[in-house]
Amino acid sequence: MDFSRFIQYIASGTAYTLGVTLIALPSGLLIGLVLAFVAVYGGKLAGKIMDVYSTVLRGIPPIVLLFILYFMMSGAINLSPFWAGSISLGIISSAYQLEIFRGAILSVSGEQMMAARAVGMSKIQAIRYVVLPQMIRLAIPSWSNEAAIVIKDSSLVYAIGVPEILRRAQLISASTQEPFLAYITAALIYFALVFITNRVLGRVERKLTIPANP
Amino acid sequence: MKKSLVFLVLVVLTAALVAGCAGQKAESVLDKIKTAGKVVVGTSADYEPYEYVDEAGNFTGFDIELMTEIAKRMGVELEWTDMPFDSLIAAVQEGKIDMSISCFNYSEERDAQVDFSDAYYTSEDAFLVTEAFAGTIADPLEVAQYKIGVQSGTVQDDWVTTELVDAGLMPESNLSRYERVDQAALDLQAGRIDVLVADSVPAKAIMQQQAGLKIVYEGMLYTGPINIVLPDGDTALQAEVNRIIKELQDEGFIDALAVKYFSE
Amino acid sequence: MSKPILTVKQLTKRYGSNTVFENIDLTVNEGDTIVIIGPSGTGKSTLLRCLNLLTKPDGGQIWLDDQEITAKGTDEDHVRQHIGMVFQNFLLFNHLTALENVKLGLVRVKHMPEKEAETKALEELARVGLADRAGHYPGQLSGGQQQRVGIARALAMDPRVMLFDEPTSALDPELIGEVLEVMRKLALEGMTMVVVTHEMGFAREVADRIIFMEKGSIVEEGSPDALFYHPKFERTREFLWKITELYGKKEAQA
Repeated sequence: MDFSRFIQYIASGTAYTLGVTLIALPSGLLIGLVLAFVAVYGGKLAGKIMDVYSTVLRGIPPIVLLFILYFMMSGAINLSPFWAGSISLGIISSAYQLEIFRGAILSVSGEQMMAARAVGMSKIQAIRYVVLPQMIRLAIPSWSNEAAIVIKDSSLVYAIGVPEILRRAQLISASTQEPFLAYITAALIYFALVFITNRVLGRVERKLTIPANP
Repeated sequence: MKKSLVFLVLVVLTAALVAGCAGQKAESVLDKIKTAGKVVVGTSADYEPYEYVDEAGNFTGFDIELMTEIAKRMGVELEWTDMPFDSLIAAVQEGKIDMSISCFNYSEERDAQVDFSDAYYTSEDAFLVTEAFAGTIADPLEVAQYKIGVQSGTVQDDWVTTELVDAGLMPESNLSRYERVDQAALDLQAGRIDVLVADSVPAKAIMQQQAGLKIVYEGMLYTGPINIVLPDGDTALQAEVNRIIKELQDEGFIDALAVKYFSE
Repeated sequence: MSKPILTVKQLTKRYGSNTVFENIDLTVNEGDTIVIIGPSGTGKSTLLRCLNLLTKPDGGQIWLDDQEITAKGTDEDHVRQHIGMVFQNFLLFNHLTALENVKLGLVRVKHMPEKEAETKALEELARVGLADRAGHYPGQLSGGQQQRVGIARALAMDPRVMLFDEPTSALDPELIGEVLEVMRKLALEGMTMVVVTHEMGFAREVADRIIFMEKGSIVEEGSPDALFYHPKFERTREFLWKITELYGKKEAQA
């Protein structure tokens, strides 16, 4: 059997996988980053609301949230599987990213904020010029992990009919009765995507490292 | 804090539920299809020879070719949406797809949520086992003594659940539900299940592709006619689809298709 | 007669049911170097942080020149441009070079043009003897160097008064000297300074007035000679001489 054409078929799902990831990850970043700052600097009530947001979204399996958004909210918002899937994963990721950034902000000690205020900076200026630049460096390792997770979680959209890598592997497995070949192909593609992402982010981290004599 | 959290979650989910129920369409999907110039059809392309993918990654199979012809006669383009089988009914209900063809048998439960076209073919069930299987099955209920596998959401699933498990003939723990038949076939080979209860046509296809399997029983359990699944209450669309099915039957189109895909 | 730059009346600070200090009165005249001494935990640092409104007092008033900065509606950020602070832990911005540390306030707070800010920042670094370290990051500097950059950073804003919160307490003995030297020069140049420290040598040599605080109130206040040789209270003498004993050794090593 000429499996190479089947491999091609599975590999062409990569476009969908990347599409879902490239919508989910940046939207999760934007929302998570903003919410993290709100959580840390927005006052007690804001902090509590962020806690609920984070706890609820991280307490439900992503695939369940996917179904809820896709099927149950159909009456109100009509989305294609691709968009419903990507946005759902983005919302879920934002909860995890909220926690990553919140931790990173808190790791930049409150004293840095104090020193910035002492020079006459407003809270916003202190956040922008002193906390944020330091926080980003602290967040990169965890964020790299989250990026890998989103790439892998993108496979969940198979369940609502997005023809990405996993779904294609399933169809080929059913057609050819060669599950091993089909799923190993899928696994290698996912692995390559995650590997490349981690390497790139590792390089970014090294570039941003602040020089110090240990 | 915990209590208000639970309350908040309940509020949100209820709102979603209400929003989901609120989306009832008044116009016929047929109008929408004609206006858009295309029909969106759902299927689960993991069920050879009804629907599956070929080497080039194209959808092919008995149902696929039949629907392609139906769309042609409706005068519209055809857009396929493939998803796991047990998601299809919900997708039709929610209007994500206009209709679905995926070797569907009629069932009362399904009828509560969707409508059916007239039958376009008739199918049977089969019990697939390994060559090493020593038993014989004269009456289908005798299969209750074994470990059984079915595809989730199918009428075979219904039959085993209702006639065997609920009837007390078989413990629930002996029943395994799979997302796809080929997964079940793997477990059959591995010995995790003894019998795979599936539509006879895919069962035979699997038997041909894999060595060491045989069929010990064929017959109609909950199977019988297979139909296209349509949105609930949409009489206009139903009438149109039925019209075309009759046309194709009269012309012998469907018989020819059956010969092409189901001959052994 | 030099005029008062900082006037403090009846300043009080509480944390819950705990009173840190109560009804503190204090006047800092132009060009004064005021040194505040006392046992740890006695509220000295908290008092200092109230002076530039980093910590909110619970009672009392503070004037910077003629402006009551504790009044409602005061633009605190603006006030802090005129009060410089140097911290025990240096608190340099870790992601910026020494030069960028000093420049940041000039560019972002004072909205000074880049070139001008760069020139001024280099001047201030030179003033503390670190012009050659302008491109170094805090992680590449010794403690003493970091603190001197911290002083330059505060000086760059041209403050009316400089506040020092135990500036040498976190330094290794060999590095204390370079920082005290910078502070001594500043005092001689006429900078108005309020210093919380344990460095008795510095206090004796440089202070115009020493304030001894204990348990949240001022025990005694006066010239170094007065406090060291003619203290009014036994407690003052006790504290001063014990500290001198301890820190005298440190100074001898430096």
